[in-house]
Amino acid sequence: MPFPNVRLANRPLHFIYICDCSGSMEAQGKIQALNQAIRQSLPGMAEVARQNPEARVLVRAVGFADRAAWHLEQPTEVQQLQWLDLQAGGITAMGEALELVAAALQSPPMEERALPPVLVLISDGQPTDDFDAGLAALMRQPWAQKAVRLAIAMGHDADTEVLQQFIGNDPGGGLPAGEIPGASGQRPLHRSGRSPRRPLQASNATSLAQYIQWASTAVVGAASMPASRMAGSGPQANIPLPDLPPTLMDPTDDVGPLVW
Amino acid sequence: MTWILPEGASLDLEGISSPLQVLRGLGGGSQGQVFEVEVAGERLALKWYLPACIARDPHLKRRLGESIRATAPSEAFLWPLALVTPGPDALPLLRLTEPGFGYLMELRPAGFVGAHEHVGGHLAIGLLQVLRAGFFLAEAFHALHLKGLCYKDISLGNLFLEPSSGRILICDNDNVDVDGRDLGSVLGTPGFMAPEILMGRARPGANSDLFSLAVLIFRLLTRHDPLRGRRELAIRCLDEPARRRLYGEAPLFIFDPIDASNRPDPIEHAAALITWPIYPEPIKLLFEQTFCAGLQAPQRRALTGQWMAALAAALDQRQLCGSCGQETFPAPSDPAPLCWSCGCPLAPPTRLRLPHGQVTAAAGNELHPHHFDRLLNLRLDQPLARVEAHPSAGDLLGLRNLSDQAWRAELRSGQQLVLKPGQACNLASLVRLITPAGAVELPC
Ligand SMILES: Nc1ncnc2c1ncn2[C@@H]1O[C@H](COP(=O)(O)OP(=O)(O)OP(=O)(O)O)[C@@H](O)[C@H]1O
Ligand SMILES: [Zn+2]
Repeated sequence: MPFPNVRLANRPLHFIYICDCSGSMEAQGKIQALNQAIRQSLPGMAEVARQNPEARVLVRAVGFADRAAWHLEQPTEVQQLQWLDLQAGGITAMGEALELVAAALQSPPMEERALPPVLVLISDGQPTDDFDAGLAALMRQPWAQKAVRLAIAMGHDADTEVLQQFIGNDPGGGLPAGEIPGASGQRPLHRSGRSPRRPLQASNATSLAQYIQWASTAVVGAASMPASRMAGSGPQANIPLPDLPPTLMDPTDDVGPLVW
Repeated sequence: MTWILPEGASLDLEGISSPLQVLRGLGGGSQGQVFEVEVAGERLALKWYLPACIARDPHLKRRLGESIRATAPSEAFLWPLALVTPGPDALPLLRLTEPGFGYLMELRPAGFVGAHEHVGGHLAIGLLQVLRAGFFLAEAFHALHLKGLCYKDISLGNLFLEPSSGRILICDNDNVDVDGRDLGSVLGTPGFMAPEILMGRARPGANSDLFSLAVLIFRLLTRHDPLRGRRELAIRCLDEPARRRLYGEAPLFIFDPIDASNRPDPIEHAAALITWPIYPEPIKLLFEQTFCAGLQAPQRRALTGQWMAALAAALDQRQLCGSCGQETFPAPSDPAPLCWSCGCPLAPPTRLRLPHGQVTAAAGNELHPHHFDRLLNLRLDQPLARVEAHPSAGDLLGLRNLSDQAWRAELRSGQQLVLKPGQACNLASLVRLITPAGAVELPC
């Protein structure tokens, strides 16, 4: 006889991509690289969702150019998700995008009980609208304050200042350069100074794909089901972030020589 | 995924005598990546660590070396077999700035799936197999603790099940340490960690393993969490501080017999309410012992041997409901048991009387050596006989001789016959079976 048809109660985990679709994303195949990176990351994300019976992973996406608009408005279970390509063209209404996300994180429509949402902001430029107003609207929402907020800078023209404001203060801030706490607020691990609490610098398609994969698997895992804890963890953040993907030396980079 | 070791490459590694061929990457996590490899004609799994993981855990290499020398406590562990470091020719092939090291273990055989598949309700599995899995898990920890070792970080993520048999495998054995020595950095996984570890009052060891073991058995048996009841409903955002409260600062067992303030919610926590009544009292008492008094007093937690005894006894009294067919576990002392599933009264079953204990005659139930000799360890993996349904007449039960010796059967007709290894005989016609281990008696 089968085990009774019951399962662990789960909570929704809202994962929202906030994607720059301005005209500059058209250059050097950046928008294509972003579409590819997200599409490629979905099977791994679905696998993590399945391994976390406590979570129901729901994905959404906002695109912003002249205006901000939902690209994927319906919270969609990652197992069912088919990624439609984002198109680039226009200016950079990042502030408006944050206002859209703010409205989505209001309760309702937000469920009464959930896991911390994950917000991933990806941009290659500067906001052309009122970013501060958008960010303020977002951060008035308790669910946005609780959210894991990550930012990926595509290329070196991205405004890392505003991306850092979106993430919030690095809780390890004030440390001398190169002494950025690693995962879970531990002792410095990344001599390169990389930290998930800073904008992640994607300077080519390969590193973009790695960061997107990391956000959609390791971070989703951390936000939905706690991972092993190590001794010596400092004061815990809302959600301890996993290590960033290691910098792998890859002489035969097969994704292409694009550098932004 | 970008693999640290190039697929297809042959690596010369120190620690093994023949070159190792990387066949393919199997997966990767926060600690490292795992590869299917071939060494001297044998397929094995190789785990290679990321530099960040090695930096965090300075004694990792030493613990692995000691585990390898100590050898596996039982076959349930995918134990480290050899520690390997890159030789000079392998160095340029690794895609890491700091090459680090890895260890070899056996490959997980096909048919084993992650325990989360069961807890998530994705798996077709029976109660018999789930109880067996609980037993095998307790047995594995029993063997580990008897060796003076502790595991420290057991969770759903490193437990694998074979749904058809209930057999288990425990992976990720790299935190294993000598109990009490504390030569490691891992604390455990919130939700499975004992409160004193989560709150930083103690370091993980065999006592905290007992807490994690009880959580895992609870999750296997109920598909629910022992501490998540009404108190969880008050939490809007289930983040780190909230988990700390639930599992560390103010933990309360959802079925605490005295304090009912954290009972499961009928809708949100239905799994717990449906499954809890299935299990016999001795199992519930072990959970109460561990999750009530044992929450704050580690020495009060149920021991591995107690879990094995209670789970094996439940399997002995397994009975199929005559109305709905569901597996039930009524106590022999219960005068009027009801089916937990359909509520119908359960007819008094036939019970096989053995030198040590009784086993209900229900298809799938087994006789084990410990039923004949109380000095033998409890084991479920070497059954001497199994009750089986007749292939065409399902309500006819037979007993199959799984041993390698012939048995003598005494029938109600007064006849005697020989039951050879592999043969089954109709239970209804049987009075007594004489085996070299002892006699099996049927009630008249
Ligand atoms: N012996 C094995 N045989 C087959 N597959 C294995 C074996 N050991 C590990 N794997 C697989 O390799 C992948 C990585 O495993 P591993 O447990 O090492 O990850 P990890 O780095 O410990 O991850 P986590 O972040 O969960 O700790 C998983 O998909 C796992 O199932
Ligand atoms: Zn019934």
